[in-house]
Amino acid sequence: MTATITNPLRVGLRQERVIAPQCLVIFGASGDLTHRKLVPALFELFQQRRLPSEFALLGCARRPWSDEEFRSKMAEAMGDKVRDHPEAWEQFAAGMFYEPVDLQKPEDVVKLGGRLQEIDRQRATRSNRTFYLSVSPKFYAGGCRALADAGLLKDPQRSRVVIEKPFGRDYGSAQSLNRVVQGCGQENQIFRIDHYLGKETVQNIMVMRFANAIFEPIWNRNYISSVQITASETVGVEERAGYYETSGALRDMVQNHLTQMLAITAMETPGRFDPEAIRSEKAKVLQAARLADELEPWNCCIRGQYGPGGSDGAPLSGYRQEPGVDPHSTTETYVAMKLFIDNWRWQGVPFYVRTGKRLAKRLSEVVLTFREAPVHLFDAAGGSPTANQLILRIQPDEGAEFKFEVKSPGSGMRSRPVEMEFSYDESFGEPSDEGYVRLLADAMLSDPTLFTRSDEVEAAWRLYTPLLELIEDSPWKLPIHPYESRTWGPAAADALLARDGLLWRRP
Amino acid sequence: MSPQLTLQTPLELPPSEVPNYLNQLWSRDQANSIGAHTFCLLIWQPAWVEQQLVRTGRIEGPIMGVQRDEVEEAGRKAVLELDLPLSTPPLGSSVSNSLAKVDGSKTSDDLRGQHVDEALSTLRPRRLITLAPSLDSSRPLETLVAAYCPLPEEGGGTVACGDVVVLRGGTEALQEGLNTLQPLLPDDLPSWVWWNGPLDESPELLEKLSIAPRRLILDSALGNPSYCLNLLATRLASGQAVNDLNWLRLGSWHQTLAMVFDPPHRRDALSHVVQLDIDVEGDHPVQGLLLASWIADRLGWTLKETHGHDAKTGDSSISAMFQRPDGTEVPLRVSPVPMGQPSIHPGQIVGLRMISKPEHGGAMCVILCAESGGCMRLEAGGMASMELVEEVVPLLHTHVEADMARLLEGGHDSSNPLLAAAAPLAAKLLT
Repeated sequence: MTATITNPLRVGLRQERVIAPQCLVIFGASGDLTHRKLVPALFELFQQRRLPSEFALLGCARRPWSDEEFRSKMAEAMGDKVRDHPEAWEQFAAGMFYEPVDLQKPEDVVKLGGRLQEIDRQRATRSNRTFYLSVSPKFYAGGCRALADAGLLKDPQRSRVVIEKPFGRDYGSAQSLNRVVQGCGQENQIFRIDHYLGKETVQNIMVMRFANAIFEPIWNRNYISSVQITASETVGVEERAGYYETSGALRDMVQNHLTQMLAITAMETPGRFDPEAIRSEKAKVLQAARLADELEPWNCCIRGQYGPGGSDGAPLSGYRQEPGVDPHSTTETYVAMKLFIDNWRWQGVPFYVRTGKRLAKRLSEVVLTFREAPVHLFDAAGGSPTANQLILRIQPDEGAEFKFEVKSPGSGMRSRPVEMEFSYDESFGEPSDEGYVRLLADAMLSDPTLFTRSDEVEAAWRLYTPLLELIEDSPWKLPIHPYESRTWGPAAADALLARDGLLWRRP
Repeated sequence: MSPQLTLQTPLELPPSEVPNYLNQLWSRDQANSIGAHTFCLLIWQPAWVEQQLVRTGRIEGPIMGVQRDEVEEAGRKAVLELDLPLSTPPLGSSVSNSLAKVDGSKTSDDLRGQHVDEALSTLRPRRLITLAPSLDSSRPLETLVAAYCPLPEEGGGTVACGDVVVLRGGTEALQEGLNTLQPLLPDDLPSWVWWNGPLDESPELLEKLSIAPRRLILDSALGNPSYCLNLLATRLASGQAVNDLNWLRLGSWHQTLAMVFDPPHRRDALSHVVQLDIDVEGDHPVQGLLLASWIADRLGWTLKETHGHDAKTGDSSISAMFQRPDGTEVPLRVSPVPMGQPSIHPGQIVGLRMISKPEHGGAMCVILCAESGGCMRLEAGGMASMELVEEVVPLLHTHVEADMARLLEGGHDSSNPLLAAAAPLAAKLLT
């Protein structure tokens, strides 16, 4: 991001919606997500003056902290963000409270109700509450039940529950969890969060598609030959080995983040910009999606696991050598697969999806490759003309890029590819909000547009069921291909595309 | 969007019985009485032009008090027939004042307050109270009441109902009827007062209606410019929540100018502005002054001096000199421009030119112009060597009811801080 002065004419022009007075209750307040993402996002909203003065944050966890301990631990964890704005933090922290709660103990949750009433009186939060379940997934169902039993979800207008990923482990468990949470409250009270949807650039896919007349007519099988969706990380498993060993890349990234990017890229045009209209279109496209070969999934899916790599000076250990990882682990840290969407718009267009840890670059992007011109009138500098590509860069270097052929300067008539660029940095010069800033605000505003609905989650799990069953029942049919750290993944993934005469984009 | 009628025929009641009747209507022990828990809107709805157009037989009526094409077209024809300047806004005071001198005694049903524009009804107001002054100043007070349920076009959803109350009569009779208003505005709901007429036409009534904590919505394009800006500045300074529809309509100018300077490489130019020119439609400079004041406030300029209209030369421009934080002077000129097809809103901006000369780097000229005109006048003279940025500002051709709905939808329960900073400065530019 370019260091630059703020545009003084931009200040105050953003039309932000008004968050109603309320108390945000975070379960799992002693956890990593709370101090890494949630409290910083709330502090950001506070500094942007988007939180009402009648706002309170109540942290809940099993640890016997006091209000003051909670405030100081958060301040310590947030480091410079607090040190740079001490006065703002002091004001914000005055609305922070803590209550020791074990969600499995009904008496704790009843006691929580009393504390919330006390906060309502103290901070004028008007019994309006958002409950954020940032706890282990095994407590989602019990947590919702405990809140409902204590009468805390009774008023659908004034109570809502935010549930972190993963929502279920497979299709069956997602269905069961949906049944439980829908028994505790109405669907419009449930906010299943996927922080990728909070990213400005993911939302921009919708704006690019539906606010410009030039894209939608060609956004289909007649003009697009393939789509690649990539989310690559350079980091390894770090301190998340315990969780990652039970999840793997398929559950951790593909079923949620990548599938959401796929849904937004491939969905039909909603009739209007309305939460239900958008979520219905996303659900429909996921219901029409399938693995390229459902009967023999090993033909369309590659699993990989990073091995050692790096250089002599900075060696990188392999996944199996990471602390907390089983030395014989068969958990995948890389997945690449090919999907089809059986509808009128996308029939026959392959969607290639890949994600992995310890890859060569950190990036997320969607690449739409267009069909070649039917007749080649000109010689191309590269032998044959490069297919047009529209690249939507989600992160980093957020923006978009369009590749097309132009005349190469000179007396002949040779063509060569060039790029037309849009960069958020160059056009706006200001960083976009963290995904959690947008999503927390939306949840408190009861706006579910960027949250996944029950049928979307189930459709996403159902899409990968053949793979999950195969991994469960016959893992040897979907072997783990080792790859060197900081490379672009196993060679088998390249072969997956090579069979179709294609290459993964190497940005 | 077509206006929606109340579902009941309005019931005429003596003013003293209205509160009891409404209380009974929404009492909790009555089945199916779902009153929307939203907001109350009290509207001063004179519709002088519409009333005069009906009286002189230029339109048939009924009088609805809603800005609609038929009234606008008849207003434009009246401008030509009455030999008014072409830049005269078709629904402005000049038209109603001129029509008042024309003979005529046609009458029509008066349905003001009984038709609710769909833009407003979708917001499900709990109570709409309309004060409808009649041309006949001796007309006694009539009070009408009706329950009202907006039905979503697409069906479904929860129907939350409200009610409409209409106070109709001569201005004096309406003043007497004000006592009935307070009990009609429940304490637990926010109340807005929308003064939908010239701000200087009945200052005493405006004062009485818009007592805090009621929130005031006005249109600083209606009424004497100095009066409008002073009222706006005074009300904002008092801490009352005030929203200005004229400021709301400036939104696309704010956004477009800010957009020009979003790319970081242009930001430096903002610190080196050397000239600002703004063109406005006709002779109502308030919107132009508010835009200039917003720019000055955001860029940290201080006002050094102002020059009003020059009667000797006939120049009706407003000139002022600002000083940048680095001491450099920046001249401002707000100029009236005649328009053949003026907007229904007086004094809309038609163009802006901002010239900037950074110390290190080329000079830059930003020209914004409205769709309704061109940039020709502002493009004239001496900018061949500058980087030229030209943008056409998209204008929303909306009626005032749609502007109101936009404002209410945004949940603006306090004054816009940018307006609060700009209005006092704009008022000074006119003194």
